[in-house]
Amino acid sequence: MHPLARKLFPYVALAVCGAAVAWAVSFRRLPPADFTFVNGDEVKTIDPAKATGAPEGRIINALFEGLLAHMPIDAPPDQDGIVLMKPVPAAAESYTVSPDGKTYTFKIRPSARWSDGTPVTAHDFAWSWRRMLHPETGSEYAYQIYYYVTGAEKYNNGEVAIGDPVEVELADRAQPDQPFPRGTILRGVLVEIVKPQRQQGKDVKNDDPSKRDWVYIVDVKKEREGADKSRGAGKVERRAFSQVPPVKGKSADDRSVEKCLQVLVDFEASVGIRATDDHTLVVKLKNRTPYFDELLAFYPLYPVNRKCVEIFGSPNWSKPENIVSNGPFSLEFRRIRDRIRLVKNPKYWNADNVRLNFIDALAVKSESTSLNMYINGQVDWATTVPTPVVPDLRKRPDFFTAPMLTTYFYRLNVTRPPLDDVRVRQALNMALDKQVICEKILKAGQQPARSFVPPGLAGYESAKCGEFNVPEARRLLADAGYPGGRHLPKLQILFNTNEAHQFIAEVIQQQWNNNLGIDVELRNLEWQSFLNTLQRKDYGVARSGWIGDYPDPNTFLDMFVTDGANNQTNWSNPTFDKLIKDAAAEPDPQKRMEILHEAEGLLMEELPIIPIYFYVSINMVHPRVKGFSANIQDLHPLHILSVDDRDAANSTQAGK
Amino acid sequence: MVAFLIKRFGWLLLTLWIVYTITFFLMRAVPGGPFDREKKVPESIKRNIEARYKLDRPVYEQYYLHLASLVRFRLGPYYTPRVWIDFGPSYALEDYTVNEVIAQGFPVSASLGIVALVFAVTLGMTAGVVSAVRRNSFLDVSFMALATLGIAVPNFVLASVAILLFVFTWPLFPAAGWGNLNQIILPALCLGAAFAGYIARLTRGGMMEVLGRDYIRTAYAKGLSDRRVVIRHALRGAIVPVLSYLGPATAGILTGSLVLERIFALPGMGSHFIEAATQRDYTLGMGVVLVYTLLLFVMNTLVDLSYALVDPRVKVR
Repeated sequence: MHPLARKLFPYVALAVCGAAVAWAVSFRRLPPADFTFVNGDEVKTIDPAKATGAPEGRIINALFEGLLAHMPIDAPPDQDGIVLMKPVPAAAESYTVSPDGKTYTFKIRPSARWSDGTPVTAHDFAWSWRRMLHPETGSEYAYQIYYYVTGAEKYNNGEVAIGDPVEVELADRAQPDQPFPRGTILRGVLVEIVKPQRQQGKDVKNDDPSKRDWVYIVDVKKEREGADKSRGAGKVERRAFSQVPPVKGKSADDRSVEKCLQVLVDFEASVGIRATDDHTLVVKLKNRTPYFDELLAFYPLYPVNRKCVEIFGSPNWSKPENIVSNGPFSLEFRRIRDRIRLVKNPKYWNADNVRLNFIDALAVKSESTSLNMYINGQVDWATTVPTPVVPDLRKRPDFFTAPMLTTYFYRLNVTRPPLDDVRVRQALNMALDKQVICEKILKAGQQPARSFVPPGLAGYESAKCGEFNVPEARRLLADAGYPGGRHLPKLQILFNTNEAHQFIAEVIQQQWNNNLGIDVELRNLEWQSFLNTLQRKDYGVARSGWIGDYPDPNTFLDMFVTDGANNQTNWSNPTFDKLIKDAAAEPDPQKRMEILHEAEGLLMEELPIIPIYFYVSINMVHPRVKGFSANIQDLHPLHILSVDDRDAANSTQAGK
Repeated sequence: MVAFLIKRFGWLLLTLWIVYTITFFLMRAVPGGPFDREKKVPESIKRNIEARYKLDRPVYEQYYLHLASLVRFRLGPYYTPRVWIDFGPSYALEDYTVNEVIAQGFPVSASLGIVALVFAVTLGMTAGVVSAVRRNSFLDVSFMALATLGIAVPNFVLASVAILLFVFTWPLFPAAGWGNLNQIILPALCLGAAFAGYIARLTRGGMMEVLGRDYIRTAYAKGLSDRRVVIRHALRGAIVPVLSYLGPATAGILTGSLVLERIFALPGMGSHFIEAATQRDYTLGMGVVLVYTLLLFVMNTLVDLSYALVDPRVKVR
């Protein structure tokens, strides 16, 4: 080493250190927000078609606006301080429902604008829903449309049958990995599907990858594309398409096969979503759906801006510099796992009534940290608190709690002995003192559950399972051949790693041991492994929770139909399946509720699940915030909040 | 020295490749995929999502597809890079690519790490030198007791105590968050405390050894002042163990920040790393692991180089 280098080294090292420290402690000053809240986990996406969680919902509700929106009704809260939320017209000015309840006609609000100033039209909604249903979008909430809207399910899962009107997308997309903008679309009627030799006669499942080399023979309608081609209009041309065209010469068939990206049912001809003009949207449903208005106010059905999505592609369209939205706020910036800054959208049709100008949504994962920040005055609203401190906080006036449409329950694997015996399942349920769990562990006003559907749904009365009764539970267990719990195969409670779940599982373990004399093991897995184990049905007893997607018993009950995606208990009952089907087709709302009640009765009799308690939502909100109310959906629209400026002047803010 | 750097670079590439391969297969061997959800989605939709990320292919095919798409080449205007690393889209943070996540998260962890390291070195060395010079004094005993405490107490316990003291009892700092100077101090102190303790003890040990040497006695004999002898002559020899500790210290500061970033809600690499592991975000996990590997390798190389600069007896080969 050169002596000079050695001589200079201490100085260079010091200079580098100095520069590094100067860089490390230099921060761009951030203007403070009017209102700061803890949004929980980092928002995974702000694309309404792809998002799924509650933190995502809070941001999307601020950025976008659906046809309808959940708003508190104009009435004083009830004795528990709970306000009723109803879907009211938002981007739609009004809507009418046909007498049979199957056709909805929406009038889009003429003053509704995108943040780039262009009007929000019925075509925006039709296109957004089409994008959401498109198989390549991979929307997890697509069923929110396709359960109800005619033809939508076939479009979503890419199923086509001979004789269907179809749309063929040619392989000429501008960007091959972006489903939008789409390639050239040819419309026609499917005449024949030629399957390769090896698959003939076999029933290939719709999502089988081997479907890729099927050849679709389609009578393509010649579109009128200009004056010179007008003579060809109305005529058809028979063409063949395949995702993987056979190599020429190899196939016996000498018809030339064109490459296509996919063949889907024709959206315009077969899906019940149509924009008849700029301001009219007509939606046709399979059945009368009394809660359809609730679905429209839920974020998966919010519109996105077609031009923006097609120019920038996914996910770049949602970047703050690109995004065009139609809600009360627009996106100023996002910092991953730090904060999302929202700013008032001056183009919003109701901007005059939006009081907040800047909002910070902080991504804070830890509940204790979130509470620290709230108590320290850094945030105005904390969306959860750690369970152990609930009893201390409950008395405070800034503590908001309300029952939620969410049930905490244990799934029982009904094919695994001894749980295959209904008497054992009933005994396990009756040996549980759920009151103790609510009062000694949870302590935030949770209600013990004897039904799967939470209370509070208008017009519905829950069917109940057996109550806490130890002698009866012992008798049932003895009847099943395990008197005093002897010879009972060992049970295991599976739960995802979490302190609260652990406490509850321990109490239940102890209760079952004391009351029935049976041994129970506890096993915890971290979240993704837990989900995987549940899906493989490799468990005996497993902790679960279910949040209602809309305020109707159906969202809880239809998951337990035979082989339902969320059933996961191996339970199957043809009568139950039939009742759920009947309820969906029943036009009379009161009768429908009675059928659902009967279905829940069956579920509570056979007990593939043991309901344990109903959740409550917990929010801490600073007194300077006005317009916040507790409600059973735990929805808190940001654009109706305001802050009292007298208090605001002397409160501390994050980023100041 | 050039030969040394070239050789190191070769080792770096090999290390990265081995780490990449192990991480790739380990992550996929853990049960549960990135698109398993509590509300199960229809099979056809899940397949579409997995096909978009090529997760429907066999694992070995995913391996070389991902490896092949990792290094990108591009011809373009002179100001754009020709070769760069593209980790692909994040599976859990769907609006971002892994490169964007790391570009936002790395500066946060780096700021925190630099402040913590500078704090640890300054405090640790000062305490060490004072302790060695004033051996067995009250200062020495109390510094060394503090150092032992700092090493023994895990940083998340320290963080809880620090929050209680400096946020609630004596409101000097905000409870958590990121965005200004106030918010970096508390986490950096908690992160650096254990390393300050180690460095203090290393410096004290090194100093005591050096102070007994002949050349120090010679320096005193020449009539040099106490301060000059300690800083000019003794410290240089005593610093070598501290320098060699800086490599592992950087590693410790990087991994130590995982828990602190959660407690103080900092949007750094540690938060991304934990979340990537629990959410099975394969690409983000891979990106963070490789960046950590690269960083540790570079730090160790720098430490090796600095030996030669500080100690004339060492030659780089």
